[in-house]
Amino acid sequence: MTKDDIALEADLLGKRYGGRRGRGWALRECDFALPAGRICALVGPNGAGKSTLLALAAGLLRPTEGTIGAPAREDLAYVAQDKPLHPRLSVADTLRMGRELNPGRWDSALAERIVEGGGFSSDTLVHHLSGGQRTRVALALALGKRPGLLLLDEPMADLDPLARHQLMGVLMADAAEHGTTVVMSSHILTELEGACDHLLLLHGGRVRLDGAVDELLAAHTLLTGPVADLAPHTVVESRTTGRQLTALIRHEGPVEGPWETSEPSLEDLLLAHLRTTEGAPA
Amino acid sequence: MSTLALKGPYWVTVRQYRRTLWLTGALVLLTLAVIGGLRIWNAQVPDVYMEDGYWRPADDGSSYHMLRGAMEQFSVGMVLIPFLVGVFVAGPLIAREFESGTYRLSLTQSLTPVAWLRAKLLTATAVAVGTTLLLTAIYLIGWGGVSGTWQFNWADRGPYEITGTALVSYVLLAVAVGALVGQLIRRALLAMAVTGGIVGLVMLVLSSFRWDFLPVRTVTGPAVANASTITVPGDSLIVEQGLIGVSGQRLPGWFCSPDAPAAHCRPGEDITAQYVDYHPESHYWPTQLIETGILLALAALAAFAAFRVLRARHP
Repeated sequence: MTKDDIALEADLLGKRYGGRRGRGWALRECDFALPAGRICALVGPNGAGKSTLLALAAGLLRPTEGTIGAPAREDLAYVAQDKPLHPRLSVADTLRMGRELNPGRWDSALAERIVEGGGFSSDTLVHHLSGGQRTRVALALALGKRPGLLLLDEPMADLDPLARHQLMGVLMADAAEHGTTVVMSSHILTELEGACDHLLLLHGGRVRLDGAVDELLAAHTLLTGPVADLAPHTVVESRTTGRQLTALIRHEGPVEGPWETSEPSLEDLLLAHLRTTEGAPA
Repeated sequence: MSTLALKGPYWVTVRQYRRTLWLTGALVLLTLAVIGGLRIWNAQVPDVYMEDGYWRPADDGSSYHMLRGAMEQFSVGMVLIPFLVGVFVAGPLIAREFESGTYRLSLTQSLTPVAWLRAKLLTATAVAVGTTLLLTAIYLIGWGGVSGTWQFNWADRGPYEITGTALVSYVLLAVAVGALVGQLIRRALLAMAVTGGIVGLVMLVLSSFRWDFLPVRTVTGPAVANASTITVPGDSLIVEQGLIGVSGQRLPGWFCSPDAPAAHCRPGEDITAQYVDYHPESHYWPTQLIETGILLALAALAAFAAFRVLRARHP
């Protein structure tokens, strides 16, 4: 894979807040390379460093150590978790701001189409919008910029299921049409299933899992059967109920034994990795 | 409106703070109406000649007193402009962007952080200086009716700053200090308080020391009984006056008149002369320019630091 095919790359990336005696490391020794054109799910428990990673990628923070390779400011869009917007501007003015601050690349038709689906007048002041409506305006502003890399921090958290479904549809169609790389952090696992083709799992500020979703799923096996030694496979999570063993393993070679095996779903995989404390620093 | 001609971050800044701009414009018009109205009224009331070279206003001075009262308030208001500008830049313009997180929106558009801050500060500077100059013009309309009277001399606090270059320099300093403090203290209220404090401190220090910039002129005269007080040129700023003893040392006290109580004449000491230290009116512009130079240097330093802080934090 050549350098041009990488949309976002971290090399021993670390970020510590508040100086030497501060809150400690939010991210440490992160290494990954995200191929262009992927829809990447950024998952991890609270405090895993997801928001820090996105802010570093957006160029809003300087890394404490290591480097992060992201597109230039013009070519990326970032929607922070709290959807910051100027409260005293109207929706129409907010979109005009997108045009004024991104000359030569602003797509008003797309931005207006996203806002129009929200059922509010474009004269409304941002400060009178509901949480879901703010999300819609923030997404319109991000997509209207026609970014090569779109960074979304918990984008759908404030939306009702219908609006979430609709906006995800717009987002995915647009990303597919323009080959946009999307990095999206989320707690809602069902939102990621089917939408994402790449996974980046953070825990304790470190990358725990990184790869294409289909490859990751193919590399893992969900097995049930009698309790027995699972070597040489790597056990991600295992539970025993009586004599019954249920385990998610990262297999080394074919799985042979008295077990029933199946390929895990993305949700199985994520939950197993999120639940496990193996290798995780305190 | 004029926003039509503005582009990019300048349009955004003007649009974001349009209510403040409307309010500023309304205040300028109100001031013009009040001061202009009073001045016209005052000019239409002719003075009547009494006798022995005295004149008195035909309406017993009510128009003149209202103009004076308004101008006194106006002087105070004008001196407060740098505070208002500094507080606005530090709080709503800069710190609030960081406090509310909207800087993450502004700094991920297709413009550099430097272009973003520059647009904000240039817009604020243009509006603040423009407003100050307009208000100064209105002040000068009223000034024609009261200048040279008590509290309206060239060296008095208020008129001194307003009629010269000092006030605009304070405004520029306030913008730069606000830009720096707003970034260092990313809490709007605290940044506003600290900026107001810094601007106030600079104003206090410079107003205490501005008459030390240039050496005073001194006149001495005899201090014998029946001698008159020594006079200085009209419109001078008297800095200090007192008596001189036989050995040449300066002593506090006043001219000894035959009618004065003995205590005033320091009977225990031999007084040979009296003196007055003063600044002639010709010191007005040199003092203004020295003060302006100090303020502009401080402003440049603060603005430089503000952009350094921005660049250090945001790549």
